[in-house]
Amino acid sequence: MASHDLRDVLNLPSDHSSTPRPSKKQRTGPGRPNLKGLAREVQNLGGDNPIAIVPEAAVFKKRRVISRKPAARWELRPFTNSARGDDGALILRHWRRKTDHDAPPDAMEEDGEPGPVENAADGERQVEKTIKTEDSTFAKFNVEISIPQYNDDQYRANLERSDWSKEETGYLLKLVQDYDLRWPIIWDRYDYSPQTFPVNGEAVNGDSTAVVPVKGEQRSMEALKARYYEVATVMMSVQKPAQYMTGPEFQLYETMMKFDPLQEEARKEFALNTMARSKEEAREEESLLLEMKRILARTERFKEERRELYQRLDYPSTDADINTYKTSTGLNSLLQNLMNVDKTKKRKSIMASGEGVSPGTAVPPTAVSEAGPNRRESIAATGPSHRESISGTPVTPAEPTPKDTKKKGAAPAERRKLSEQEEQVYGVTHHDRLGSGPTFRYEKINKLYSHKSGQQQLRITNALGELDIPARLAMPTAAVTGQFEVLWSAVTALVDLRKVSDRLDADIKVEEHKKAERDKARGITNGGGDASSRDRSVRKDGAGPNGSAEKSDERRTEPGTAETKPETRPRSQRSQHNDLQNGNGGTAAAEPKPGSGGPGEGANVDGAPAEVKEEPGAGEREKLGPRPSSSGAHKRSASVLSTISDKSAKRQKK
Amino acid sequence: MAQQTLSSAMPPTDIYGGDEVSALVLDPGYCQTRAGFAGEEMPKQVIPSFYGHIDGRDIFGDEVILPRANFEVRNYMNRDSVVEDWDGATKIWEHLLCKRLQPERPTPPSKNGLNIGDGDGDGDGDVSMEDANGGGGGAENSVDDLEKPLAENPVLMTEAPWNSAKAREKAIEICMENWGCPAFWLSRTPVLAAFAAGKATALVVDVGGANTSVTAIHDGTVLKRSIQRSPIGGLWLSNQIRSMWEMSDPRVDLVPTFMVENKKPVEAGAPAEARLRNFPFPIAPSFRAFEEERVLTEFKESVVEVWRGPGRFQSNEDYAKSQPGRVFEMPDGSNQMWREQRYRVSEGMWDETVAFDQHEGRVAKSQTIPGLIKAALDGVDVDLRPNLVGNIVVTGSTSLLNGFNDRLNQELTNMYPGLKIKIHAAGLTSERRFGAWIGGSILASLGTFHQMWISRKEYDENGAGIVEKRCK
Repeated sequence: MASHDLRDVLNLPSDHSSTPRPSKKQRTGPGRPNLKGLAREVQNLGGDNPIAIVPEAAVFKKRRVISRKPAARWELRPFTNSARGDDGALILRHWRRKTDHDAPPDAMEEDGEPGPVENAADGERQVEKTIKTEDSTFAKFNVEISIPQYNDDQYRANLERSDWSKEETGYLLKLVQDYDLRWPIIWDRYDYSPQTFPVNGEAVNGDSTAVVPVKGEQRSMEALKARYYEVATVMMSVQKPAQYMTGPEFQLYETMMKFDPLQEEARKEFALNTMARSKEEAREEESLLLEMKRILARTERFKEERRELYQRLDYPSTDADINTYKTSTGLNSLLQNLMNVDKTKKRKSIMASGEGVSPGTAVPPTAVSEAGPNRRESIAATGPSHRESISGTPVTPAEPTPKDTKKKGAAPAERRKLSEQEEQVYGVTHHDRLGSGPTFRYEKINKLYSHKSGQQQLRITNALGELDIPARLAMPTAAVTGQFEVLWSAVTALVDLRKVSDRLDADIKVEEHKKAERDKARGITNGGGDASSRDRSVRKDGAGPNGSAEKSDERRTEPGTAETKPETRPRSQRSQHNDLQNGNGGTAAAEPKPGSGGPGEGANVDGAPAEVKEEPGAGEREKLGPRPSSSGAHKRSASVLSTISDKSAKRQKK
Repeated sequence: MAQQTLSSAMPPTDIYGGDEVSALVLDPGYCQTRAGFAGEEMPKQVIPSFYGHIDGRDIFGDEVILPRANFEVRNYMNRDSVVEDWDGATKIWEHLLCKRLQPERPTPPSKNGLNIGDGDGDGDGDVSMEDANGGGGGAENSVDDLEKPLAENPVLMTEAPWNSAKAREKAIEICMENWGCPAFWLSRTPVLAAFAAGKATALVVDVGGANTSVTAIHDGTVLKRSIQRSPIGGLWLSNQIRSMWEMSDPRVDLVPTFMVENKKPVEAGAPAEARLRNFPFPIAPSFRAFEEERVLTEFKESVVEVWRGPGRFQSNEDYAKSQPGRVFEMPDGSNQMWREQRYRVSEGMWDETVAFDQHEGRVAKSQTIPGLIKAALDGVDVDLRPNLVGNIVVTGSTSLLNGFNDRLNQELTNMYPGLKIKIHAAGLTSERRFGAWIGGSILASLGTFHQMWISRKEYDENGAGIVEKRCK
């Protein structure tokens, strides 16, 4: 009724005057909850929004639930730590909840509740009987690294090094063990002195602020690492050859083997420099690096495109001698060759496309290896085959394997690609294209031989003889033939060079003769010295035979400066050094006139092992001339080669 | 204890690696010796390493150092923080560990005169006795045990990184022979300070009382070649203040508090009006020095500040003069405003050219804190340096000087502009003061540490030399 009164007071048109019933109904309609503890009038004051009333129950806080169990008992329980490795000599004690029976610690962790009293008493007695101490739960965290072990024989056979004694190696390994391969610490504590271990800490250097003075010669961390990795890899491979290692083992082996102390040192040097730079420099370098990356990516792409282009062109290799193609028959054979190549190529492409559809229709001898993935699957389905065994188990490098991989290259999508490591393990190598049918390794060499002229063959054989290497290898394994090929190509290059140099010598001689003739004709007598000086300057000019060949060509066509000759000639004999220094001037001065050829030109043209003709007035300088120098070069290159040849010789002995 | 608040019976070992074995941690230093229980966050007992010697008797603790006749103050350490006076050391350590940390031992029941006959009566005493017998396992109540007061507590001790092998062996000898500890460990203070900061790899800058040291820690092991130290510590700073007071005009007299009987307030800069106490006995110079050090410590705590930039103090002296000063009243009532001088005294830590001359000689460039850090970093592998500079732990009481960390950061930024520098300095004063102790407390309560302890058996078998082999 309160709202009604209000409306009265405010002179509002009361709606209930017309229809009092509905309003009443309305009020009750929503079913306003009839809350207790509040007068209806007061409640109505709220109008449509009822006054919020939170009923408060006068209840006391709940009683804490007290367990009827007796208070938990804690005991000072002894325990040992098996990680100490002292058979439980140290017994420490910690507080632990007392359990009903001394079960193993795991079980105890799960049910921490103390059991019935009689059980506890039982347990008490059991504890008395059984072993009293448990092992610490932290013992499992003790991890020890494994260090390569070796005995005396193994050390002598594999690990002898001049700069590492056995004792020092042992010391290093002990430190590695002690400090768990943490190299900074190992390096920090590395303090090996051959006689005795020093008593450190006693003598502190007065002037140095460092408490442990750094003693004279110290091994760098890289040296220590290199030695350790060396020992570790050698012992690893001694215990288990690389082929039989498992994946992770091999990975470790490879990582350790590839450790390069020099590179590490360079890297550290670099890091040191990097530390010293300022922020601006760092930012600049970063942007430069980014730029470089971009450039590199671009060149990479460019290279890729170029390679593709070249592949498309498939240009013939230019290593071979061009002389064979200078004749018409040579050209003919070249054409034939090219056609053959083209043919094989075509056939191959056809085969590649038709592969798998009709595997048997290709060339019979290679049918087995040509077989595509489909075929292989069918074989695999019928049962374990020869090929399955090849790819499944490690094999020694044999003929079928390379072919296998060749074919894998042809159909790369289906086959699993071997990783580098697996290739090494299985002995897979990649070759040039092999002809059909079996071939011998040394035949490749023989083929190279046959391309050479008889005289060159002879020279090559001589050179090899000089190095104590038989022309036919006794044990042509892949490695040996590889090395031999390297050696052989070096010898060939040497022989070629010598040929060129001989030819040059002959040319020079001819020119000298010409000049001598000309000088005679002019009545000037001291031509020999001049010739020799010119000779020298030629040597100086042309570092390589090719270069000098070009030079001499030029010289032939160059117009001579004849009028300066008379003046320079007497001086040139004395000022040899000047000539050597500014060689071009000297050469120009001593240039003979073209076209004034004399007799005796043909005498030395053929560049046989040049017999030196003593020119009048040439004197002893002539002896330093062409021939001896060329032979000197030969000797030198032979000694360069000797390192390679030694290696290959050793292999052969193996 | 954290263990009791957990609902399960066992602490969760996967996250909580603690396993308390009631080990004690002892951290002796030149100025203070700290001792407490492993697993706690503060040392229970901190007493000065100075102890009183009176009439042939040694007395320990701060409260006993009072003006008395025939009283002399001694320290068992030398200025290198290496124990010199082993008799004193043994006594002061025993005083701490056995007397102050352990409750008074009850007289064994067989001797206390209460158990005449077989009085198996009801009572709490008997129950606890049974418990002790049941849980403790036999050997506890033997006569041996009474002679060896620490038979149940492994002891972890700290040492300076340059501690000598002889001193280390002596320490284990005392623990094993005198106190009968079941296990012992010796750890270096910088390692523990790094542990207290939660780091296993850090460059620890410890600016303590007698020494300042910079040490690189890698994986919880000291890198010996990086250990650098210099005398630039709290005592050096005190001497700087002395020098400054002597040189200032008017000269500032240092009268320790115990000498002053009565004082009147005076204007700033005016001479003191105080009546000094007269003692009927001579005061030992060592005691006076100890008391003077208290005044100086107060001065350091309330006035001295580190110039935190811009630049070095020397080039900014005028600017420093404009900074607000602080007034310090001496015990005798004389007081004075200190402006730029309060920066000046500590500047020698950073810039050797500004340091006052002292009796011990000037500091070299390599002895300043930047010099020490540089030398320490040069002594470690290049690969570690960026990591170390990114994990610098500052500890030691003298590092609490105002502005110390700002200045250190500035110096490091100048030295290594390209590297990320991060300084970790505990905010709590106590954590900075007791860094090494806290680290020791953490270490000794770790479950995984139990395999490291040198056990009594190992000591018996190998002799004291084992400490050199094990605590590397």
